[in-house]
Amino acid sequence: MTSKAPTALAVALALAVGGVMPATAQGPIRIGASLSLTGTYAKLGKNQHEGYQLCEKEVNGKGGLLGRKVQFVVYDDQSLPATAVRLYEKLITEDKVDAIMGPYSSPVTEAAVNVTEKYKKVMVAPLAATTSIFKKGRKYIFMVISPAEVYLEGLVDMAAKRGLKTVAVVNEDTLFSKAAASGAVELAKKKGMQVVFTEAYPKGNTDFSALLTKVKAANPDVIAAATYFDDAVALTRQMKELNVNPKMYGVTVGGDLPEFYDTLKQNAEYIYGATQWEHTLPYAGNQEWFESYKKEFAHDPSYHSAAGYAGCLVYAEAAKRANSLDADKVREQLLKLEMRTIFGDYKVDADGFQVAHKMVTFQWQKEKKVTVWPDDLSKGKPLFPTPAWTGR
Amino acid sequence: MLGQVIISGILSGALYAMVALGLGLIFGVMRVINIAHGPLLMLGAYTTYFLYAHFGINPLLTVPIAMAVLFVVGVLLQRGLVFRVVDAPELSSLLLTFGISIMLVNLAQLAFTSDLRAVEYITGSWLVGGLALSKPRMIAFVFAAAVTALSFLVLKFTRLGKAIRATSQSREVAMVCGVDVGRIHMLTFGFASALAAAGGALLAVIVAIQPEMGGVWTFKSFLVIVLGGAGNYPGALVGGLLLGLVEQVASLFLTTQLSEVVAYVLLVLVLLVRPSGLLGGRQT
Repeated sequence: MTSKAPTALAVALALAVGGVMPATAQGPIRIGASLSLTGTYAKLGKNQHEGYQLCEKEVNGKGGLLGRKVQFVVYDDQSLPATAVRLYEKLITEDKVDAIMGPYSSPVTEAAVNVTEKYKKVMVAPLAATTSIFKKGRKYIFMVISPAEVYLEGLVDMAAKRGLKTVAVVNEDTLFSKAAASGAVELAKKKGMQVVFTEAYPKGNTDFSALLTKVKAANPDVIAAATYFDDAVALTRQMKELNVNPKMYGVTVGGDLPEFYDTLKQNAEYIYGATQWEHTLPYAGNQEWFESYKKEFAHDPSYHSAAGYAGCLVYAEAAKRANSLDADKVREQLLKLEMRTIFGDYKVDADGFQVAHKMVTFQWQKEKKVTVWPDDLSKGKPLFPTPAWTGR
Repeated sequence: MLGQVIISGILSGALYAMVALGLGLIFGVMRVINIAHGPLLMLGAYTTYFLYAHFGINPLLTVPIAMAVLFVVGVLLQRGLVFRVVDAPELSSLLLTFGISIMLVNLAQLAFTSDLRAVEYITGSWLVGGLALSKPRMIAFVFAAAVTALSFLVLKFTRLGKAIRATSQSREVAMVCGVDVGRIHMLTFGFASALAAAGGALLAVIVAIQPEMGGVWTFKSFLVIVLGGAGNYPGALVGGLLLGLVEQVASLFLTTQLSEVVAYVLLVLVLLVRPSGLLGGRQT
């Protein structure tokens, strides 16, 4: 290995410096994280990174944490779980950071958490939405965003309240969409609705004619689709082509992007979607945060930015209450903490699984996303029922 | 329900047939399996998108333009690269076109980004009885049927078409009879690329456009020409319609996931039972 010599040199240097400088409490609190700054998730990982940066700036602006400045040590995991494992190992054993924050995405978190658990380090994982990560008896990991299972909760709840009886659930056959679909099915049954049709389709599918022909024959009041972007667009177009007319139709991921409306134009009207966060939501300080983010980074934040920012604040708050960086003391506080940030509510169960943060359901109305669920956050009323394609 | 999916099957089958005809032509004339066929289709779709989005040209009028543009691209590819592997073992041509395919997809990602694009032109359907006839798909069907029919007429009756078929049957004899084989290869590649482009231009009004949309079309075209009989041009029509119907009917009675399985099981069966395709291999 050619990299051994420089590493050894760096270690020697670090030891020398460490020996000279007294290890005092005056040094900054170094928070380590690996993020997807390149690779498949680059765009989203960068937004999360900017959330961390803004949190760092704000905490330091308010006098720091436990009387010390906060400083992020961030490496690029190239969106690869295996690289993230190596980097967290390095952060903990070589860099000896004082605290850890989570990486981007469920698969990367699922891999990295094995390292943080091994070294008993608290990891607030702001961008991991897969339930199973938190249900494997792990002690030091904490969830911030809502899990996949509740993405369609708003749609089903609104439908049940309006007395709709039947629902069809379709989903892409991948981890996240499957979880979102099964969550919708369970919730619909709990609310006394009848699930008249379910089917999964392969990733990358573009032709939904036969699937939608079957949906049409089942004649559901509600179509709940656990989608990503491409399939959400294709499903909508082909629903129109096959004249499938549910009273409500909602999608999961993708439906919240501006591109969704740009692509479908007026055909996106009346469609329901779900989102973890919007800058228009009435959480205290949300709008100001949005403005300062835009000023700092010259582009709009996504929910990844907001979740990263909020996750970092949650950790800081817990450390403050514990008055310590000791993993077990911070963990105790994180389990007790109830907090509202610009991202919404934080509260976890005994597994560190998020139970308070609400997915928000919106409806596309006249080119705008109007929040329609839950009631205490909503800005408008849903346009109900969705008119038939031929009657618009 | 069955009626609805049979219509869907026929509508997509015509597109399959037209695109696959291009792949079949190149294989017939040059013995080259063109993996880059799908990516050429993608370029056709982007041509339509840009003409529509930036110049406001009616997407249907862009079909001939996309065909012309990709004809030139095809000719350049053939002149620059593909002609070198025409007489080489088939693995060389596979590798070369595979490389071209990767190159085209990545160039497209660089130039156009991987954001989804869509041409929102005509949406919705005509309702006839209990059946919904998708407007964009009906239009694509009519165009695809017309282009395919025209291609057959050209192949059957014109001097150029005869020269192409002659080259496909026996290059040496065609050469002896005074056919400029190099020129025929070039024109065939251009023509086949134009057929892919027509497919892309028509798909642009049906599905979302992105740099990787072509890959699946290479495989589907391959499936179609194997089903119909490699080198047998009318076979592409039979294979295309068959594939469209099988996919739709299988998704109706089974699931969308299994329909792909059924299509490829069919491929394996045809290769085992009737390796020369349903209509037989090259016509002599």
